[in-house]
Amino acid sequence: MPLIRLAAGLNRPGKMGERLETAEKHCKAQDRPKSCDLCEVRGQSICADLGPREFLHVEKTMARRAVVKNKTLMIEGEPNESLYIVVDGSFRLSKVLEDGRRQVTGFLFKGDFVGVRSTKASAYTAEALEDSSVCYFPHRYLDEIAIDAPGVKDRLIARGQTEYHKAQDHIVLLGKKTAEERVISFIDLISKNIGSSDGPSRRRVPLPMSRQDIADYLGLRLETLSRTLAALKQDGSLLELARHYVVIAA
Amino acid sequence: MKPEWRKYLGVRAPRYTSYPSALHFDEQATAADYERRLGEVGLYEPLSLYVHIPFCRQLCWYCGCNMRVENDYSRALRYVRALNTEIQTVGRHLGGAGRPLSVHFGGGTPNYLKVAEIGDILGAIELALGLTDGTRLAIELDPRLIADGDIERLAGLGFNRMSLGVQDFDAEVQAAINRLQSFEMIESAVGEMRRVGVNDISFDLLYGLPKQTHDSFTETLEKTIALSPDRVAVFGYAHLPSALPRQRLLDETLLPPEETRADLAGRADDMLVASGYRRVGFDHYAKPDNLLARADLEGRLRRNFQGFTDDVADTMLGFGASAIGYVGGLYAQNAKTLGDYYRRTDSQELATMRGLILSPREMAIGRTIRELLCRSQADIAALLASLAPTEANAVCARLDALEADGLISWEGDLVALAPEARPLSRVVAMALDPYEKAMAGNSLRSLARAV
Repeated sequence: MPLIRLAAGLNRPGKMGERLETAEKHCKAQDRPKSCDLCEVRGQSICADLGPREFLHVEKTMARRAVVKNKTLMIEGEPNESLYIVVDGSFRLSKVLEDGRRQVTGFLFKGDFVGVRSTKASAYTAEALEDSSVCYFPHRYLDEIAIDAPGVKDRLIARGQTEYHKAQDHIVLLGKKTAEERVISFIDLISKNIGSSDGPSRRRVPLPMSRQDIADYLGLRLETLSRTLAALKQDGSLLELARHYVVIAA
Repeated sequence: MKPEWRKYLGVRAPRYTSYPSALHFDEQATAADYERRLGEVGLYEPLSLYVHIPFCRQLCWYCGCNMRVENDYSRALRYVRALNTEIQTVGRHLGGAGRPLSVHFGGGTPNYLKVAEIGDILGAIELALGLTDGTRLAIELDPRLIADGDIERLAGLGFNRMSLGVQDFDAEVQAAINRLQSFEMIESAVGEMRRVGVNDISFDLLYGLPKQTHDSFTETLEKTIALSPDRVAVFGYAHLPSALPRQRLLDETLLPPEETRADLAGRADDMLVASGYRRVGFDHYAKPDNLLARADLEGRLRRNFQGFTDDVADTMLGFGASAIGYVGGLYAQNAKTLGDYYRRTDSQELATMRGLILSPREMAIGRTIRELLCRSQADIAALLASLAPTEANAVCARLDALEADGLISWEGDLVALAPEARPLSRVVAMALDPYEKAMAGNSLRSLARAV
């Protein structure tokens, strides 16, 4: 019974257990969905490639949890033994640099993955930017499934973006020559992930993260970011500029 | 100081702001080497940036820096354009990798430039290399060139550490070194820095200058302590007229004798420590709540071209004429003359002209020497293992002699500096350095006294 095995895992002594228990307290609903059939991201990307038999395995081992805004899914330097898929909401990935400052390294949206490998020390902290929910698969069970259904893990993550893709996105953005290019490329990136139509030839791009997060991510000072956003609004590149969204031409 | 240590006072020793010192750099290291290593910098690898501004309004006769007196500001604007190009070129080779944790403007005189130009350079860094609100910005300032509102504008750009070249408050000493600056001038600069919220103010003091006496330097220290800077660096003046011809302007007959030099250094140490400053390394002092003091207390003190530092980045990028960077085991120094520097930057090339690719043994020696200078003790096992047997024997023989004189204690692989021998740290460092003996002929001309 996967649920019982999972619960046993949670009660294991040690840091991992403690952290999950802490995470537990921040979870509104840690029950797994009645059926993955109801999952809104399933057909969209994540589990769509799985065969019926593989899917049965996956459905048994996964669990859904809600992560309240500002709470962490995984913490840099602490063990992580699960693969997480963002089902709803968004997360900020960050790491602490040698001088103690936080570097924003990426953002996770619906359909993205984090925790691709089981590790004793996570390379990132993942923090919810809004009330969010994830499905998680303990690597231990994914490995067990692999005996019966080889390659299932690879195929699970094949279609979503992982933290490694995020690093690629980031270096491309940081290589842009001007602040305008950097900000526009960033908005395009978010648009591809979670943008939605906002009437004829308009696309609404949510920005669930703070301006400071965006500035840190893009290697810009806050003042430069604000100035650049204002200039992009002025020249018409942004049709609307609001605190938590922008509208661009589709 | 113990009588048997007197013989070490006149010893010439490198400052070990790098290992090997820049005297060992040659043209074997090229722009291509620098380019390759820039391409290997990791995505979030911490970077420490140094920007060199080689201009001054007036020549100080003690100066050993790469600088020129310039009266035509359009030449400075020309230099800023070249700097911006160099920054873009380096940024292109990094391709988005690396994160600047700190930017240090040194010189020459960084505030020879107007604040607008300094802002332009920061803007270029922001776009080419990334700059966030947390990046620590430091600048060296000549108090004589601080115009009304400059400090506030610099703070507005994000400079949170300002360093004043005080040298000495005594008017006669100032006249003898051609650097006249009143106490009121420094006092008002410090007041302005405090007013705009700069909470990391450094003073540089120099001992061993002409006309300095026990009493005059005591007064300089009293004035320093009254202004309460967060850090004080007390450097020994290095009189090397044959290597630095401009020092011939200074009247040699007015230089204090060796014994006085040691006394002045000791006086500074006594007074600053009695006023609550923490000793950091062999020539820095910091208030206990200052970042540098905390780094020292927590064993995180480092040494780079700016002296002792709490900067954590291993990778340093130098911008501007003669600036030195360190990336992945390579020291890369830019062209020293403006002509060469402009030729390189105008064609969008890296400006590296000299440098050194470190061998594993040089890295091992450098690590050990830095450990000794930053922690007052070092494990010498890796160093000895990296040396040829004759060299290792020579190092041990030199350490034996230092131990016999009580400068160090030596147990197993651990060499520890005697607390009172701190002013002689560089002598002990030199004992660990197999290069220095080979350089002995050269050293007299180009190295400073240890104290």
